Amino acid sequence: MTYSAPREYTGGAKGELLRQRTLPTSIARDVPPPVYSPGAKYEKARPGKPAVAHSDATVDAQEPFAVDRRIAITGMGVLSPAGSGAAALAAAIREGRSAIGPITRFDASLYPSRMAGEVRDFDPAAGIRKDQSRYVKKTAKVMAIDIQMAVAAANQAILDTGLALGDPAKDEPVLPTIDHTRFGTVFGSCFVPTEFDDLAGPIQASLEDGQFTLAGWGARGIPQMFPLWLLKYLPNMHACHTGILWDAQGPSNSVTCSDASGLVSLDECVRIISRGTADLMLAGAAESRVNPVIIMRHCLLGRLATDNDHPATCCRPFDLDRTGQVDADGAAVLVCEACDVAAARGAKVYAEVLGTGLGSTTAGVNACDADGRSTAVAVRSAMAMAGVRPEELGAVYAHGTGLAMQDASEAAGLVAALGPAAMSIPTTSSKGVTGVMGAACGLAELAAAILLCKDRLVPPIANCRRPDPAMGLALVVGRPAKLRSPTILVTTSAIGGQTAAAVVKVNV
Amino acid sequence: MATHTRRVVITGMGSVTPLGLSVEETWKNLVAGKSGIQPIFIFDAETFPTTFAAQVRDFPLAPYVRDPGPYEKAGRNVRFTMAAARMALEDAGIFGTAFDPVRFGIYLGSGEGVLDFMTLATGIAQGTGPDGRVSTREFAKFGFARYDALREIEQEPNMTVNHLAAEYGFQGPAVSCLTACAASTQSIGEATHMIRSGRVDMFLAGGTHSMIHPLGVTGFNLLTALSTDHKDEPWRASRPFDRNRGGFVLGEGSTIMVLEELDHARARGARIWAEVTGFGISSDAYRMTDIHPEGRGPVAAMRMALADAGASTTDIDYISAHGTGTTENDKVETLSVKIVFGDRAYKIPMSSVKSQLGHLIAAAGATELMTCVMAIRDQIVPPTMNLENPDPECDLDYVPNAARPCRVEACLSNSFGFGGQNDSLVVRRFVP
Repeated sequence: MTYSAPREYTGGAKGELLRQRTLPTSIARDVPPPVYSPGAKYEKARPGKPAVAHSDATVDAQEPFAVDRRIAITGMGVLSPAGSGAAALAAAIREGRSAIGPITRFDASLYPSRMAGEVRDFDPAAGIRKDQSRYVKKTAKVMAIDIQMAVAAANQAILDTGLALGDPAKDEPVLPTIDHTRFGTVFGSCFVPTEFDDLAGPIQASLEDGQFTLAGWGARGIPQMFPLWLLKYLPNMHACHTGILWDAQGPSNSVTCSDASGLVSLDECVRIISRGTADLMLAGAAESRVNPVIIMRHCLLGRLATDNDHPATCCRPFDLDRTGQVDADGAAVLVCEACDVAAARGAKVYAEVLGTGLGSTTAGVNACDADGRSTAVAVRSAMAMAGVRPEELGAVYAHGTGLAMQDASEAAGLVAALGPAAMSIPTTSSKGVTGVMGAACGLAELAAAILLCKDRLVPPIANCRRPDPAMGLALVVGRPAKLRSPTILVTTSAIGGQTAAAVVKVNV
Repeated sequence: MATHTRRVVITGMGSVTPLGLSVEETWKNLVAGKSGIQPIFIFDAETFPTTFAAQVRDFPLAPYVRDPGPYEKAGRNVRFTMAAARMALEDAGIFGTAFDPVRFGIYLGSGEGVLDFMTLATGIAQGTGPDGRVSTREFAKFGFARYDALREIEQEPNMTVNHLAAEYGFQGPAVSCLTACAASTQSIGEATHMIRSGRVDMFLAGGTHSMIHPLGVTGFNLLTALSTDHKDEPWRASRPFDRNRGGFVLGEGSTIMVLEELDHARARGARIWAEVTGFGISSDAYRMTDIHPEGRGPVAAMRMALADAGASTTDIDYISAHGTGTTENDKVETLSVKIVFGDRAYKIPMSSVKSQLGHLIAAAGATELMTCVMAIRDQIVPPTMNLENPDPECDLDYVPNAARPCRVEACLSNSFGFGGQNDSLVVRRFVP
């Protein structure tokens, strides 16, 4: 195999055409929302798209690819350790108020790391129709906490769009103004470890002379398990339940890319709408890392900070003195809508997704590449699709987990992709406030960032007191930095795995 | 004909299944009507409600990787894929050629790794108090002493993709999806679209899964989805479309394809197996456990795939059915095919290789697409075995019990996932 050398950023010039876009900010509010019929065809939003040239085997990696429809974010739902809603998360990040505390969900007294960002007291049935609420209450017992959080965040996001709810008494669809066959869901998720208490009884019944045996399990354990056990933990149940609740009959996917999952699902939603398969997509992700099995795994891998006496300051992204991650719960759903459709219904538009990009680590399954090439690939791809030059970025919301090798790799990748501009674009991370919300990371932070842009400021990195000069980034420390433009970059990466980046233009 | 500017072709295939450790071996056995189903030997399933499965046999990893070291702690899902991917890449003639690693992506429908249930159960047993609740403090004493972190992370569903990227250095878009039984059809469909969009030129796409482990069998037994009959003649247990069908049989394995943009393939003189022309995707949004009785989702997915391919119902010569062998699936799939194809439904051979391979769950779709490609090459369609008692509600031409030579130019391959995801692909003989 012959690999070509990593490339310098050259996306700007070719992206010229794409940069002439503007947000649909002034929208006639008195236009009645259109009612779509199944199978209706929509006009392509942007005529005269540049043809994709493709002639030889090694085409320039920065070539912008065809975007047929522009994508707006018209609703946001977030559950984070800072509370319910994107605003709660934004407020905590703005104030640098850490939501990390001692683990209360289980007895972690023998764990080396006993801190986490927990999501507590949320209602997966808040605000929805009575018939929906009945469904949620009836099925909640077969939804692991990950799935319950996903449903709650999805409900929040859809209610936030301002789409009218149908009247169940008149047998109306849940969202009568949309075409439900062109409405889909993509969730980032992870395989959920079974709660111990679900297994405890059947395992006790399986013991022979105090020892667990498979023969005992088959004969006496299995009959004691509840029939829908498997469905409580499957990673595609986030999308399944959300789809049933909101009658989303369009595309559905469940991506399992660890920390990168959230932005991977955004990428897929953007592509699905762009190519015309759907008009409305929920880009979601949810994961509860505050789980005795997952935290044990991360402790054994040495990924977690162990300064248990100081939970609020133990996670220190990009700090010289960073010692590790903190696990957290989180869920986030962004409603992605074709701009043409959003404009037609007079929707509130939070932001436009200009570009998304994906990449992959090649360093090994429990490693980050030292030169950050995986982050660089994702960032370059997102920037090229957006047609945005690095100096046009107003801020970078980095993954910045506080784990030494991961932060170093991400920073190297940002420097490689953004070039000299990396030294001047305000770069921040919010993990000191929330910890790592697993799959939900990128989307939750994007939602918060969209609100924070309205301050025209970039919040400082919580707990980063002595920024590591080796990062080569314009890290925001101590006090907020000025937001230079409403176009921001968000990045995420999974250790040993996938990377994802998104460029959005916020409607400030 | 498809009207997409960038056309997507299959230039390499690799497969590890209960019927063979290569595409050719699997295909030969499928056409011969052989069964991969036998008593479970991977673990002691003697007392389980289901005691048989279609397992991969005599599988060596070493010939397929540079160094077996990184895979020592990996699950069967990862191992199968490393072999299938190696075979696919060799088949595509990639080795020794120059390509841009940034424009080479990976998209897999990838199952979770195998959970070490014996260790977990022993830990939980030790941590369970007299009140029947588990003390995580007690569990921690056991777990921190016993667990091997590197073995533990192998359970995460993205590990297969991570291993592939590390082995081959592909830096492009990498996605792992897990939409149950539809996952690898979905991965091939989405990868096809990503190539069309111009972002990448090549993809390793497909799926891998092994749920033949204690909790996997437990889960499906609890849902009463698995066949429990025919313990003494397990090769008869998977009976898609038969009146006496009683559920599916678990299988395991991996099929990986090299998808490539047509001009890219031509420029390097690659052999082209077939063209992926259409992808359709929908959700039932109906119930957690049941399929929509009128096949709303499958109908939408099949229609979208045909439209995407620019194909009409008369263009399809063979349908690779999802055909799990559960009462509901086979009935609704039959109904859906009739809704989409009208009277022509009765004239199109439609078979389910799950009758021989079992259900490879996340790897099923890619494996079935592989059989479509082989059917196009050899002009023969594989049979639905064990179809002995006609079901009045399943009255299509299922190619019962013997492979059939016939004209095959274009195929439709269906996958319907537990939880309501429906995916269909159209693949056809490559015509320049």
